[in-house]
Amino acid sequence: MAHTEQMAPARDILRTYGIHIVLAALIGVTAILSPAFLSGNNISNMLLQAAPLGIVVIGQVLVILVRGLDLSVASVMATAAVVATTFSGQDSDAFPVFVVAMLIGLATGLVNGLLITKRNVSPFLVTLATMTLLQGMRFAYTQGAPSGNVPPIYRVLGSQTFYGVPYNLMILVVLATVFSVLLHKTTYGRQVYLTGGNPVMARLVGIHADRITIASYVISGGLAALAGLIYSGFVGIVDNWVGRGFELDSIVAAVMGGVALSGGRGTILGGLFGAAILVVVFNAVLMLGMPIEFQIIIKGIVIIAAAAIYVRRA
Amino acid sequence: MIATFTFLTKRRGGLLTVIALILVLTIFGVLVSETFGTASNALNILEQSTPLALVSLGQTLVIITGGIDLSVGSMISLASVLLSGITNGDPLMMVVALATIMGAGILVGLINAGASIYLRVHPLVVTLGMGAILQGLTLLYTQTPIGKMPKGFSQLAYGKVLGLPIGAVVTIAAFVLTAIFLRKVPLGRYIYATGDDATGAQLMGLPRHKVLFLAYGFCGLMASIAAIFLVARLGSGQPYTGQNFTLTSITPVVVGGTLLSGGRGGVMGTLMGVYMVSLLNNLLNFLSLSTHFQLIVQGLIVIIAVSVYVENKRKV
Amino acid sequence: MLTISKVSKSFPGVKALSNVQLEVKAGEIHALVGENGAGKSTLTRIIAGVHKPDEGTIEFDGEIVHWDSPAAAKAAGIHVIYQEFVLFPNLTVAENIFLGHERRGFLNGIDHGRTRQDALDLLNRLGVSIDPDALVSELSVADQQMVEIAKALVHKVKLLILDEPTAVIAGHEVELLFGRLRALRDDGVAIIYISHRLEEIFDLCDRVTVFKDGQFVATETLAEMTNDRLVSLMVGRDMSELFPPKSSAPGPVVLTATNISVKGRVHSASLELRAGEITALSGMVGAGRTELAMAIFGGLPMIGGQVAIGGETFTRMTPSLAIEKGIGLLTEDRKGQGLAMLTDVATNISASDLGSVSHKGWLNHGREKEIAVSEIANYRIACRGPQGAVLTMSGGNQQKVLVARWARTSKKVIIMDEPTRGVDVGAKAEIYRIMRDLADRGLAVLMISSEMPEVIGLADRVYVMREGVITAELRGDEIAENRIIQAATQKRAS
Repeated sequence: MAHTEQMAPARDILRTYGIHIVLAALIGVTAILSPAFLSGNNISNMLLQAAPLGIVVIGQVLVILVRGLDLSVASVMATAAVVATTFSGQDSDAFPVFVVAMLIGLATGLVNGLLITKRNVSPFLVTLATMTLLQGMRFAYTQGAPSGNVPPIYRVLGSQTFYGVPYNLMILVVLATVFSVLLHKTTYGRQVYLTGGNPVMARLVGIHADRITIASYVISGGLAALAGLIYSGFVGIVDNWVGRGFELDSIVAAVMGGVALSGGRGTILGGLFGAAILVVVFNAVLMLGMPIEFQIIIKGIVIIAAAAIYVRRA
Repeated sequence: MIATFTFLTKRRGGLLTVIALILVLTIFGVLVSETFGTASNALNILEQSTPLALVSLGQTLVIITGGIDLSVGSMISLASVLLSGITNGDPLMMVVALATIMGAGILVGLINAGASIYLRVHPLVVTLGMGAILQGLTLLYTQTPIGKMPKGFSQLAYGKVLGLPIGAVVTIAAFVLTAIFLRKVPLGRYIYATGDDATGAQLMGLPRHKVLFLAYGFCGLMASIAAIFLVARLGSGQPYTGQNFTLTSITPVVVGGTLLSGGRGGVMGTLMGVYMVSLLNNLLNFLSLSTHFQLIVQGLIVIIAVSVYVENKRKV
Repeated sequence: MLTISKVSKSFPGVKALSNVQLEVKAGEIHALVGENGAGKSTLTRIIAGVHKPDEGTIEFDGEIVHWDSPAAAKAAGIHVIYQEFVLFPNLTVAENIFLGHERRGFLNGIDHGRTRQDALDLLNRLGVSIDPDALVSELSVADQQMVEIAKALVHKVKLLILDEPTAVIAGHEVELLFGRLRALRDDGVAIIYISHRLEEIFDLCDRVTVFKDGQFVATETLAEMTNDRLVSLMVGRDMSELFPPKSSAPGPVVLTATNISVKGRVHSASLELRAGEITALSGMVGAGRTELAMAIFGGLPMIGGQVAIGGETFTRMTPSLAIEKGIGLLTEDRKGQGLAMLTDVATNISASDLGSVSHKGWLNHGREKEIAVSEIANYRIACRGPQGAVLTMSGGNQQKVLVARWARTSKKVIIMDEPTRGVDVGAKAEIYRIMRDLADRGLAVLMISSEMPEVIGLADRVYVMREGVITAELRGDEIAENRIIQAATQKRAS
């Protein structure tokens, strides 16, 4: 099989630098075809959009690292957004909104984590079920159409910039830094990688693998709730579907960024690069005047292609 | 006789649970509503569950191979808009449309299988991506309900043969034939073997690729046929009509005792699962609870079902 | 029947076979021996059509063949019994046996009744009583091996390859197997028999081919071969150098396990371990040895009994508690339970003792690397340094990574489950020496082993288990093959 041997280095290069090359090429090509792409306005618009996705991606990466998958993130986002509108809509209620939304997110993550670790249920199915459950509860609560306003502070955090830098991007950067440091510099992070790398071994070297796994889902739930609040401020009007598609987008971003679905491999930074590519692609589709449906189609093709490139050797 | 019974309880314990649940639900239904226990309501449930039953049938085969098909929902949407869009009231074009969507369903299934075989990407990812692609194509074709079917097409949904709804007859026939195939045809056994141990199947020289192409192709075809029944009921194809089927097609399979890890389960369990889910939704209607509660219940069923059938992982 | 000439095969980073040859005649049992990593498994897989050779030719039954799939090799009349079984746990015994050769009935559909009956006949012919309707997942490992052998008898094969078939069976079952193989040979079947057990090879085989490091060494008639010569062909060193001298003065008892029970596997087993001593836990595969060790370590829940260590008594153990109390355990399944295969050497070494490479939860990467470098030198681990991936390392070196990990954390007891499985003879001697060093450093070493020579050659004291019960404790001169086998196979007094 001389064939694969020649292929291997090419694939290695693609694995390591592919994502940077693709991102640069995308930006380059789009900028040439549509000069408005690189306008300050458009860039800050893209960054505004990227931040909530990025926050969800952090959680998704943590979950995938422990051999999981979290499909409930979009549902948590929408639920958090609905919560944002249920109080007075004034800044005085911003904090209660935050607390309630976070509790819902964390609780969802806890349920996911417990069922996955204690009952050995496939993460895909558990999170699909909690996604549906949450969706049903949301619909039953709002009777189909939520009304009310998002506290102004969330509007500021979600849609405004400070000297051109969006506030939500700052939140993302802080969170990404914190979690990257946790993953790479602490024993907690090491336990995440060992648990994902070989859960049985992790248990036998004295790691509480179940707790580590549950923690990933709880963090993912919490970050999704936070992203939901920020995103509600970005879109302004809350419906039952805020964040729709984020579950797929966040997984696509992580996979593109080299996070192995088989667990134990990948970084938050990689996932964020993946998210950046998605946002640029979505934006490029609009800037180049293509029908918006192309976004979905491209997303579908990209996830399969990315996963194929990162297929594990041996 | 005793041996047979222990065989049944040992291997089919889950199935007995589902049947018991169906009985409990029926008794409960009869207690809360006089019309619930009537034959016409039972037929009603069968008729309503046709599309779900067909998709779940396809999904069962895929899940037994150890895979999953998350593109069925979008496939149904695409097939339904193509069916009524191409037909647009013309009986002659209807034939063309039917052939097109069935071919498309099979083709999509074959692509799913091919991509997971040759690109070595997990079916979860492949079909997730395929689902997005198909939904995008559907929306490119139309964003609103489109076209109409010839007069009499709705007979497929509401008509009867020998006193049974057509849909129910088709469903039962499809399940029985598939069950026989799985039990009596070697390729059917290879579906189980592939799901049990894919590497082993390859070492044994079993036609693993053929098995996967068959399972996914069949699943795609079933999604298209489900779309036909949906269009018959709704009158025209709608771009989001299949959306909820991705999850709901998996629920009855899991409830029926087929393991998501593959290699174990069967279509008769799925049929029971379909009936149980439909029964439950029907019961919720009788209790005049909104459809929102159906989602909640759906989620709860999945959680409870999967917690009951703990996947047999290796100890230690 | 089979002539292999000038076959080479490379995998990324490894040259598995280099210009090897092998000739097997119809009606002979041909032994294929060599250390692990010698290329036996690769050659098996090439003959079976799993891999394609990079160079060279395979001539089978008078024709040059180029198989592109296992199915093609199978159709030509080749059957392989792999060391890791190819059985489908959720299918029945009968279905497994006839998979790919289904018994047909009405309308050419599968005839389940006949499948069942034929399977029963076949198993009876093998001399074992296994329920053909049982799921394979419900069988013991030994029964699974017999089912695996039954599969080979379903259809007429021209070449049968067996890779370590006696790893999990013993006594009566081995005799049944050998009788069957001799009958097949007399029918003109060519048989390739791969085994580490040299006595079996002399007992059963006609000729032997030796591989070493992916290269052909020799093919000779066994009648003209001696045990010592065969070993020297395989390793180029003397057998007596393999085992270090035994301990003369064992220290105090450091761990006492009393009446340990594990659901369905271990029944009220007691043992004690002494500092400075290598204790072996012997018995057949499936006797409950691994489960007993796992229960002591906390990897499996015990439903009864207690473990006393360091003046404390525990009725519930967990791995983290066991590690804290100074117990370590090297599992037999390196890939599944021992190593994070995709991570590097340093990470794998520090895994059980993150405390030593961190301060208040902050990892000290420099310290971790230092430790890895010193352990790599200490145990002479062949790798690309601390950042080398364990995935591409040989079995022996992977095992040394595990030894390095657990020798660091185990302050009192180190349990090693089949420490030399899948390890070549050269590395074996090194691992024996390391184990003796650990005992000399004052650790109690508990070794689980199915290899009779290493139990006899290495252990100071031996416990024998059968069906979840400890049936004998042997020391000194009592440690002899017949005593161990007797205790491992005797019927329980009821």
